[in-house]
Amino acid sequence: MLPIEFAGWAGLAPVYVLVATALVLFAVDSIDPRKTNRTLLAGTATAGSLVALAVAVWFLLAGVGTPQVDGGFGVIELHEGQLVVDQLALFFMVVIATVTSLVSVASYDYMEGHTYQAEYYSLTLLAATGMATMAASNSLVTIFIALELTSLPSYALVAILKDNRGSIEAGLKYFLIGALSSAIFVYGISLVYGATGFLQLEAIANNLESGYGPLLGLGILMLLGGFAFKTASVPVHFWAPEAYEGAPAPIAAFLSSASKAAGFVIAFRVFTTAFPLETTTAVIGIDWSVLFTVLAIATMTIGNFAAATQENVKRMLAYSSVGHAGYALIGLAGLGAGVNDVVMGAALMHLFVYGFMNTGAFLFVGLAEYWGVGRTFEDYNGLSAKAPVACAAMTVFMFSLAGIPPFGGFFSKYFLFTASIDAGMFAVAAALVINSALSLYYYSRLIKALWIEEPIGERDALSQPLGLYAAIVFAAVMTVVVLPGFGPVADVAVDAAAAIVA
Amino acid sequence: MEGIFTYAPAIALLPLAAFVVALCFGNAMPKKGAIAGIFATAGSLGLSLLMLAAVASGEVHHETYYQWAAGETAGHSAAQGIEFTFGILIDPLSALMLVIVSLIALLVHVFSLGYMNAEGETGLPRYYAELGLFTFSMLAFVYADNLLMAFMFFELVGLCSYLLIGFWFRTESAPSAAKKAFLVTRFGDYFFLVGVVAIGATFGTLAFAGDNSFVAQAEAALDGGETLFGFDARTWITITGLLVLGGVIGKSAQFPLQTWLPDAMEGPTTVSALIHAATMVAAGVYLVARMFGYYALSPTALGIIAFVGGFTALFAASMAVVKDDIKQVLAYSTISQYGYMMLGLGVGGYVAGVFHLMNHAFFKALLFLGAGAVIILMHHEQNMWKMGGLKEKAPVTYYTFLAGALALAGIIPFSGFWSKDEVLYDALILGLENQLYLAAYAMGLIAVFFTGFYTFRMVVLTFHGEPRSEAAEDPHDIGWSVKAPLIVLGLLSLTAGIANLAPVGKLLDMDIMFLEMWLDGHYGGLEELTYGAYSDTLAHETGAIAGSEQTTLLVGAALSLGLALSGAGLAWTLYSGSDPAQHTQRLGSVRELLRSNYYQDEFQVWLAEGLTLPVARTADRFDQSVIDGVVDGVSSVSLFGSGWIKRIQTGIVTNYAALIVGGFVGLLVVLGVYGGWFV
Repeated sequence: MLPIEFAGWAGLAPVYVLVATALVLFAVDSIDPRKTNRTLLAGTATAGSLVALAVAVWFLLAGVGTPQVDGGFGVIELHEGQLVVDQLALFFMVVIATVTSLVSVASYDYMEGHTYQAEYYSLTLLAATGMATMAASNSLVTIFIALELTSLPSYALVAILKDNRGSIEAGLKYFLIGALSSAIFVYGISLVYGATGFLQLEAIANNLESGYGPLLGLGILMLLGGFAFKTASVPVHFWAPEAYEGAPAPIAAFLSSASKAAGFVIAFRVFTTAFPLETTTAVIGIDWSVLFTVLAIATMTIGNFAAATQENVKRMLAYSSVGHAGYALIGLAGLGAGVNDVVMGAALMHLFVYGFMNTGAFLFVGLAEYWGVGRTFEDYNGLSAKAPVACAAMTVFMFSLAGIPPFGGFFSKYFLFTASIDAGMFAVAAALVINSALSLYYYSRLIKALWIEEPIGERDALSQPLGLYAAIVFAAVMTVVVLPGFGPVADVAVDAAAAIVA
Repeated sequence: MEGIFTYAPAIALLPLAAFVVALCFGNAMPKKGAIAGIFATAGSLGLSLLMLAAVASGEVHHETYYQWAAGETAGHSAAQGIEFTFGILIDPLSALMLVIVSLIALLVHVFSLGYMNAEGETGLPRYYAELGLFTFSMLAFVYADNLLMAFMFFELVGLCSYLLIGFWFRTESAPSAAKKAFLVTRFGDYFFLVGVVAIGATFGTLAFAGDNSFVAQAEAALDGGETLFGFDARTWITITGLLVLGGVIGKSAQFPLQTWLPDAMEGPTTVSALIHAATMVAAGVYLVARMFGYYALSPTALGIIAFVGGFTALFAASMAVVKDDIKQVLAYSTISQYGYMMLGLGVGGYVAGVFHLMNHAFFKALLFLGAGAVIILMHHEQNMWKMGGLKEKAPVTYYTFLAGALALAGIIPFSGFWSKDEVLYDALILGLENQLYLAAYAMGLIAVFFTGFYTFRMVVLTFHGEPRSEAAEDPHDIGWSVKAPLIVLGLLSLTAGIANLAPVGKLLDMDIMFLEMWLDGHYGGLEELTYGAYSDTLAHETGAIAGSEQTTLLVGAALSLGLALSGAGLAWTLYSGSDPAQHTQRLGSVRELLRSNYYQDEFQVWLAEGLTLPVARTADRFDQSVIDGVVDGVSSVSLFGSGWIKRIQTGIVTNYAALIVGGFVGLLVVLGVYGGWFV
C-alpha cells in the first residue's frame, strides 16, 4: 500500500523527509544551543537522508512513474504540473539521498572540533531538499526556486570553516559567480516567458511556435548558463576548482556529486520537455544539440587538460569533476539521432556511478585533511603503508573514474562511448577516448604516490576515524558491486530516460 | 559391468585428492603424504583395471560431464555451434593407458618411500603433492574425450614436470633445467594451441569420438572435396595435424625439441621414471595414437611423423654412446625409444606404436628405478666410471636392471624385442612398397645396434668388473620399498611381450595377437577408433621380401636381433674385465661432437642470442623511438595545453566574471549569426 494512493502530494515524500530532517536539526540545536551533541546531529542527518533514500527506492520499485499500461502508477503531477514525480525524478532523488547520507556519515569525523555543527547539518539537508526538488521541478519558476534553495545553503556551507581563510575566500567566490549565473538564468527565464507566455514546461513546448525566434534563442542560451553553473560546465566552470579546494572536503564531495547531478536533471528535463529539438530548431534556427556537442567536448577537454598538471589533489579532483560533467553532457548532445533513450540512459548511469566514486574520492581527501598529511601529491606519498584499506578504496575510485574495468566507471563510460557511436557522434566518441586516456595519467599519478613513492618525512601512525572510513569503504564497495547490479540500474536509467525523451 | 563407469571420474580425482591432502596435511602425516599418494594411486589402479575388464566385456564409456562454454558461431563445415566440455572417453586405448599410468605412478610412489623418505629429503609434502597432481593431470589427459580438454591437461602435465624437475630448487642446475623443460615444451605447445583453435574453428567440434567428431567431419570434408580455409581439405588437415604435432614433438622430446629432456635429469630419479615411462613424454605419443584417425587422413603428416621418429631414434642413440652419467644414458635412450614409437605410428603401425609405448613404460620405469637404486647404493654417485662390481652386492637390483636392459636392447624374449621388431617390420613392409620409407626403416635399424651397445656398456660398467670407488666397495643398503617395484617391473619387462607375439602368431598361424585384437575392437570398442578402421582409412600398400610374409618377418627379426646382439657384444668385449678403459678417446673429434650433443644447445643459444635478440632490439628501438616518440609528443602537447589552461584560472573573481560574460557574448554572437537572429 503506497502513500500516494491516498493523496498525490505524498509522491514528494523523499523531499518532505529531507526538509523535515533539516527542521528537526534546527529544533535539536535550539533546545540547548550551547551544547553540541555531534553524534545526535550526524545521526539525525544520516537517518533522515537514509529514510529519504529508502522511500525513493521504494517508490521506484513500486512503480511510481512507470506508465499505467505497464502496471505502474503513472507520473504524478502536482500543482498543475509545476512539480512532477516520475522515474527521472526518483532516480535522481536516489542519487542525491545516497550522496547526502555518505556526506553526513563522513562529516561526523571531519567536523570534529569545528563550530556551527547543527547549522552545518541542517544546511546540508536543506541543500539536499533543494536538489531533490530540482529533480521534481517541472516549471521554470519551481526550477529557479529549487535552484536557489540549493545554492544559498551551499554558499554558506563552503564558507563554514570561519577561521579558515581558504574556506571564506572560496565561499565568497562561489557566491559571486553564483549570483552572476543566477542573474543570467533568471533573465533567461523572463525572456522565455516573454517569448512563449508560459513557465510550465509542457506549456512552453506547446507554445513555442508562437514565440519570436531570436528572443527565445537568447532565453535558451541564458538558461543554459544557469545549468552550466550548476553542473560546472564550460564556460561557467571557473568557480568549481576554487570552491571545491576551499570548501570542507565532504561539502566538496556533496557539491561535485549531488549538486552536479541535480543540475543535470533540470537540464535534461528542460531541454527535453520544454524545447523539443525539431520544433525549437524550426523556431530559433539552431539545433541546440550541436551546442551541447561543442560544450561537451570543450568541457571534457578543458577539465581533463587542466587536471593533468595540478599539484594539489583536491584541485585535481575538482578539474576531473569538470571533465566528468563533459561526459554527462553527451546525454544532451546525442539527442535527435534516434537513439535518445540509450544516450540519455548512459548519461544517467554515469551520474549514478559518479555519485559513488567521486564522493568517495573527495571523502578520501577529507580523510587526508583529517590526518593533516597535506594537500599535494607529494604529501600523499607512501600513505598506503599506514592506511592500506583507505588507499585501496582510493585506488578503486581513481581507476573507476579513469574508466578501467571491472569498476562501475568503466561500464558507464563504455555505454556513453557506444551510445555516442550509435548516435553518430564520432567526434564526441573520439574526445571521450582521448580524454579518458589523458585522465588515466593524472589518476594513476595519485595511485603511484599512494603505493609506490616513499614518504618525504617520517610519519606517525594514522588514526582510523570510523565515520569517514565507513563512508569511504561503502562508496568503494558500491563502485565495485555496481557492476553486478548494473543490469537493474541500467534498466531503470534507460526507462527513466525513455520516459522524458519519448 | 555397466555401473562401473560411474566411478570413472574417480580415477583421476583420487590422485587430485591426494594432492590436496599431501599439500595441506602432509607435514602432520606419517611418511609426509606418501601414504595418501599410495592409497590414491592404488585406488586409481584398481578402478582402471575394472575399466579394462569392462571394456574387455564389450562396453565403452563416452560421456560429457560438464559444459563450461558454448559458442553460437558455427564451424567452417559444421552447422551446429561449438561447445567446450569436459568429458570422459574410455575405449580400449585409454583403458590400457590408464592401467599403465596408474601402475607406474603407484610403483613410483612406493619406490619414493625408499628413495626420498629414507634418504631424509626435506620438502616431502611438496614432493608428494606434486606427484599427485602430476598423476591426476596425466590420467585426466588420457581419458579426455576432446582435444581442448586434452590440451589443458597436457599443459598441466607440463607444469607438474616443471615443478618436479625443479624440486631441488636450491641448487643452481635444477631450476635452470626446469625452466628449460618448461620453455622448450611450451614452444611446441604454442603450435598445439594454434592447431586446437584451427581444428575447432574448422569443424565446430573438438570431440575425439562420436558421429560429429572432428575426425569424422574431416573425413566427410575429404570425401566431399571441400575447400577449407582456402586450402583443399587434405592440405588443411595436414596443416592442422602438423600444428598439433608441434606439441607432441615438444613433449615427447623428438628432434629438434629434445634438448630439454637430458637436462631434466636434475629432478629426483623417481620423477624421471614417472616422466619418461608414463606421463610427460608418453603424453605426446599417446596424443598421436588418440587422434590417429585424423593423422590417417593425411599421408604427408604421417610421413613426417615417421621420419622425425626414425631420425630421432638414431640421433639420440648415437649420443647415448658416450655418456658417463647413468641417468644421461637412460635419458637419451628415452628419446631414442620414443622415436621408435613415432616411427611405428608414422608407418601406420598403430598397434606396434602402442605396443612399444606399453613395453617401454615398463622397462624404462624399471631402468630408472633401478638407476635410482644404484644411486642409493652408490651414496648418490651417478658417474658409471666410479661404479663397478655391484652385481654381487645387490643381486635383486642387478637382475631386474638386466631384465630392463635386455628389453631395451631388444633381445629375445624380453618385451622390448617384440614391440621394436613389430615397429621395424611395419616400416620394412611399407618401405618395400614405397622406397622412401626404407630410409626411415634404415635409421631405425641402425639405431638398434647403438641401443644394444650403450645399454650393455651401461650394464657392464655399473655392475661388472671390480669396484672403482670407495662407495662401490661399500654400498648403502636398500629396503623392500625399493626392491618390490623393481621385481614387479622386472617380471613385466620379461613377460609383457606375450600381449602381442606377432611374429610367432604369423609364423605358426595362431590367434595370439591379443593387443592387436584388443585395439581392433574384438573385445569391445568404438568402431571408428579401431585399428581396422584406421587401416581402412590409410589403405597402405605393403610389400614383402620374396613375396612371402614369413620370409620378410624372419629376415627383419634376424636383422634387428643380430644388430642388437652385435652391439651388446661389442660393448661387452670393450668394457668387461676388472678395469675397463675409456675407449671413447679413440673416437677423436667425433667424441667431442657426440658429447656436446651435436652442439644443439649451442645452436639454440645462438638462435636466441644471435637471431632473436637483434630482432627484439630492432623492435625495441622502433618502439622506443617511433611509438614512444608519438606518445611522448602527445603527452607534452597535453601538458603544455594544461599549463596554458591553468593560467586562465587566475584566482581573481572579477576575471572569472569577465570570462563568463565574455564567453556568453561570444556564444551569443556565434549563435546569433548562425541562427540569423540579428537579421
